[in-house]
Amino acid sequence: MNVKRLIAGAFVALTVFFGFAATVSAQERVGQPKDGGLWLIESANEQAAKVSEFNEALLILITVITVFVFALMFWVMFRYREKANPTPSKTSHNTFIEFVWTVVPIGILVGIGFWSIPLLYYQDVVPETEFAIRVTGNQWNWTYNYPDHDGIEFTSVVVDDATHADPAKRQAAEKSLSDFLGRPAHFNARLLDTDNRLVVPVDTKIKVLLTASDVIHAWTVPSFGVKLDAVPGRLNETWFEVDEVGTYYGQCSELCGKDHAYMPIAVEVVSKEEFARWVEQAKAEYADAGTVAFGR
Amino acid sequence: MAHADPTGWKRWVYSTNHKDIGVMYLWFAFIAGMIGFTMSGLIRAELAQPGVTVLPAIFNMTEDQARHMFNVLTTGHGLIMVFFMVMPALIGGFGNYFVPLMIGAPDMAFPRMNNISFWLMPPAFILLLLSTFVEGNPGAAGFGGGWTAYAPLSTSGHTGPSMDLAIFSLHVAGASSIMGAINYITTIFNMRAPGMTIHKMPLFAWSVLITAFLLVLSLPVLAGAITMLLTDRNFGTTFFDPAGGGDPILYQHLFWFFGHPEVYIMILPAFGIVSHIISTFSKKPIFGYLGMAYAMAAIGFIGFVVWAHHMYTVGLDVDTKAYFVAATMVIAVPTGVKIFSWIATMWGGSIRFTVPMLYAIAFILLFTVGGVTGVVLSNAGADIVLHDTYYVVAHFHYVLSLGAVFAIFAGMYYWMGKMSGKQYPEFLAQIQFWFTFIGVNMIFFPQHFLGLQGMPRRYVDYTDAHAYWNKISSYGYMVTLVGVLLFIVVMAVTLSRKKTVADNQWGEGATTLEWTLSSPPPFHQFNELPRIK
Amino acid sequence: MAGDVKHDYHLVNPSPWPAVASIAVLLITIGGVFTMKPEAKLFGAAGFGNYLLIPGFLLLLYTMFAWWKDVVKEAEMGDHTPVVGIGLRYGMILFIASEVMFFVAWFWAFFNASLYPALPIEQGAFWEVFQNEAAWPPQGIETFDPWHLPFINTLILLLSGTTVTWAHHAVLHGDRQGLKNGLWLTVVLGVIFSFVQGYEYSHAAFGFSGNIYSATFYMATGFHGFHVLVGTIFLAVCLGRVYRGHFKTDHHFGFEAAAWYWHFVDVVWLFLFFAVYIWGGA
Ligand code: HEA
Ligand code: HEA
Ligand code: CUA
Ligand SMILES: [Cu+2]
Repeated sequence: MNVKRLIAGAFVALTVFFGFAATVSAQERVGQPKDGGLWLIESANEQAAKVSEFNEALLILITVITVFVFALMFWVMFRYREKANPTPSKTSHNTFIEFVWTVVPIGILVGIGFWSIPLLYYQDVVPETEFAIRVTGNQWNWTYNYPDHDGIEFTSVVVDDATHADPAKRQAAEKSLSDFLGRPAHFNARLLDTDNRLVVPVDTKIKVLLTASDVIHAWTVPSFGVKLDAVPGRLNETWFEVDEVGTYYGQCSELCGKDHAYMPIAVEVVSKEEFARWVEQAKAEYADAGTVAFGR
Repeated sequence: MAHADPTGWKRWVYSTNHKDIGVMYLWFAFIAGMIGFTMSGLIRAELAQPGVTVLPAIFNMTEDQARHMFNVLTTGHGLIMVFFMVMPALIGGFGNYFVPLMIGAPDMAFPRMNNISFWLMPPAFILLLLSTFVEGNPGAAGFGGGWTAYAPLSTSGHTGPSMDLAIFSLHVAGASSIMGAINYITTIFNMRAPGMTIHKMPLFAWSVLITAFLLVLSLPVLAGAITMLLTDRNFGTTFFDPAGGGDPILYQHLFWFFGHPEVYIMILPAFGIVSHIISTFSKKPIFGYLGMAYAMAAIGFIGFVVWAHHMYTVGLDVDTKAYFVAATMVIAVPTGVKIFSWIATMWGGSIRFTVPMLYAIAFILLFTVGGVTGVVLSNAGADIVLHDTYYVVAHFHYVLSLGAVFAIFAGMYYWMGKMSGKQYPEFLAQIQFWFTFIGVNMIFFPQHFLGLQGMPRRYVDYTDAHAYWNKISSYGYMVTLVGVLLFIVVMAVTLSRKKTVADNQWGEGATTLEWTLSSPPPFHQFNELPRIK
Repeated sequence: MAGDVKHDYHLVNPSPWPAVASIAVLLITIGGVFTMKPEAKLFGAAGFGNYLLIPGFLLLLYTMFAWWKDVVKEAEMGDHTPVVGIGLRYGMILFIASEVMFFVAWFWAFFNASLYPALPIEQGAFWEVFQNEAAWPPQGIETFDPWHLPFINTLILLLSGTTVTWAHHAVLHGDRQGLKNGLWLTVVLGVIFSFVQGYEYSHAAFGFSGNIYSATFYMATGFHGFHVLVGTIFLAVCLGRVYRGHFKTDHHFGFEAAAWYWHFVDVVWLFLFFAVYIWGGA
């Protein structure tokens, strides 16, 4: 009974914690890590929410298992210490208990499977999407291309520490970012911000096509529940849909050399109208800047 | 046959004696461990606060050079700990010393080959160390592509000779391990004392037997993979180069086909050691002996068909991933059997909390923590947010640094008296245990939070939001440092004592054959083979 | 010294060869790296690769010679009791098992490339190329006709498998002349195989580098060829031993090991022939 209460307590604590975390961000969402944070970055869509929910369930499960093992161990250590039990028993078999501890874990794992596998298919099977973005990982930046929007193409590079630290430089960089986005924008975090951001509309299913030009990189946005390797010579695809307007961050997640830590991903999610406006503005400057459009 | 037993340096260099070779392996592992430990200290120092500040200061280099340097350190740390610390200690060291003793054999099956298994390790280690001093990345020294050495970062990404040296280092270390493995299997199959049937064999011998099979079957695949790296780099083949129709993912398949069995290679001997210690200090025979042995066999077997759980994000098709999710989770079952059987062994026992027992208990608890996070990672749906984050780093350090390494410490304390004839100082060793225990937990538990918060691995610098837990983690290293230094003190104190240890220092709980011999055992034991009833 | 050993295991005398071999290995590997990269510097020095590689290689050859000479001497002195013989058999089987796994890697690379062929993708042209169809063998690769030289080589190897079995039967029946004949034939067939393979390589319509077909083809058949050489030398050594009067009807594991090895090489070839030449060549 105690165990149950403990779990319930832990669950309440977690819920309160996450509920609190969710209310912190008042107006415009910013998807980035929190200092001293204990749990997944807050989800910005159904995909990430499902991952988070699943992870939470797993956390509770593994906590129960671990607490169970610890409790057994401590009890055995206490009850059967040399002083308390000077003459050891000689039992070395018990078919029933061995059967139990084989079958119960199997049951638990099958249970996990019934949740895990459908989630996997949900994530992995790309649904009908409205348009595609081609993402190329380079040492050490990302090139974004919009094949369905006249091949708008631009590269997104980390904002370096010097720019972050120097107010004048920073203002200039923020200004140029605002011009690019067509809306006022400011930087949120060292190592997460980039000079240009990937711009996508809210509530829209978007396909991401990924490759790399030199070594393997990984395109990751935790709050979207997306992580996929960009592999030279391969074309990987995934998808996402974001529920809320805001700025979301991620970081390259495959070792790609010296500046692996310096090629973040920043995504600006805007309303559909604003996206249409941005496309017109961006076309003027960036259309067909890169390779011939693909999959139009 | 009459024997010349040389003395002085020849005793060691020309050795065909499994105990001497085992001791050399342990010293080698200890030295490599200190180097790997120092490297992890540099890693933790750099990560103690945001920004790249510590490495430039220590090595007097620019920030740009330090970024590469950090990757070199991470790579070197991983390779050293895996190939030059854990494997030589558990398999080469304890395996050599105790497998023949436990099965009642006078020596290994191929004593001279045993010696080359050892003597290939120093050249392999020298190659790896040299690789950090020559050009890797254009204009920068050392290979910084991770212990996994994924192509193309390890082919077109590092053009200098550094990577070639690292490749040869692995070739040589691999050849050493394959020969060692052949030796163990032959010894265990062919040289058990009369009456020692395979189902009476001590669990440590079982664990080494299974480990040896994993080595024989997985290492050659790694050898093939890194040979492909070598020819891609130097002779224009295009195994991993898309410009010639090759495929970088092929490398990952080959690597992990080796790499996953490799992680069980590192943990199975630890399981074996822990089984003996738990049984000894509970004064009870191991619970469910056959289940324990076959659980290890099952782990080894399934270990060969789960490799792609390291590759959930490379773009495998979804059915393949679903298979690997299911297969990976299965391993939790035999592992659970082991955990519960250990507890059941203690159940009803008469438990003495000596230092080896403390380490063994800590092993069971902490391995469970690492194991269950492994089950989380095995779910591709959850791994998508955790892959290549510090959550993974936390997972594998819990099973390796708090699992395999704890088993090494446990084994050292358990068998130190047997090997040297000298008793370790109990109280000091207890303190050593607590410092290490608290320290490593402080290092690695917070890394779960960092991982959940999305901090990627192999990052020299992180965004300010990750500062808090990184700081705690680095403080944990300081605590561990005290533990490791104390270990050196404890060993020095032990070795400077007089020989006092009885043949069976642990009393009635210790039932395996090594305890029937003197401490230390005679140079050649079992001239008359023991008979097992 | 313990004179009263009451078991049949072989406690080998201390030997310098393992340590010497490891020095040779160090010379070869460091020398190898700096031979492959003559411009590269080690602590400021460059171009010294050969000065390490060649002596290292010679030292290794000498060590192997000396080591195995010791083994042969011990065998003839009676150290290889029946139980030691069983151990040697385990050892050889396991060694071959590890060799099999080594070839698994090359076959894996081959099937990865041939079942899922990819077009060569040039730098900067990523996006267009994915729309095209790739094929195996890759476009522009003119493969060998499997029913020409490769088939002859298959027959040679199969025949050599029978001759080595002949030799084996001969040794079992104490027929020294048959043993010599069988071994001579096997060695000669092995040498012919290597020559034919070399001839074939020199007439290939595709080079060594630059594409995945060549990579998988040459590395898989090349490593096989290397094993043929090793096997041939192994058999030749056995032949030499026959002339020195070694091998008895009940005590000839050195020869048996060579035969096992030869059969292994044979089987690998069959897989290569069917997979790489016939299936992968059309
Ligand atoms: C000793 C080494 C060791 C061991 C034993 C394990 C054990 C396991 N590992 Fe781990 N692993 C590593 C070393 C190890 N691992 C390393 C080094 C890496 C990273 C490599 C790299 O990328 O550099 C890694 C990475 C890694 C990944 C890839 C993560 C990623 O990169 O995204 C995964 C995913 O499936 C995984 C899974 C598992 C599982 C399921 C187990 C299981 O065997 C665990 C089983 C144990 C238990 C489950 C606990 C005890 C059981 C019970 C108490 C019974 C009841 C339990 C249940 C019903 C759940 N490991
Ligand atoms: C067995 C394996 C092992 C062990 C023991 C350790 C031990 C430690 N590891 Fe690590 N580590 C790896 C294997 C291991 N590690 C691997 C494979 C990677 C991945 C590399 C990559 O990304 O490519 C990694 C990566 C890694 C990272 C991530 C780096 C990055 O992603 O950039 C970090 C960061 O904190 C870290 C820290 C530490 C610390 C602080 C310790 C220790 O300091 C903890 C305390 C250790 C001890 C107390 C043991 C000391 C042992 C001895 C002194 C030998 C004793 C021997 C005898 C008595 C015979 N390790
Ligand atoms: Cu790009 Cu890491
Ligand atoms: Cu694994």
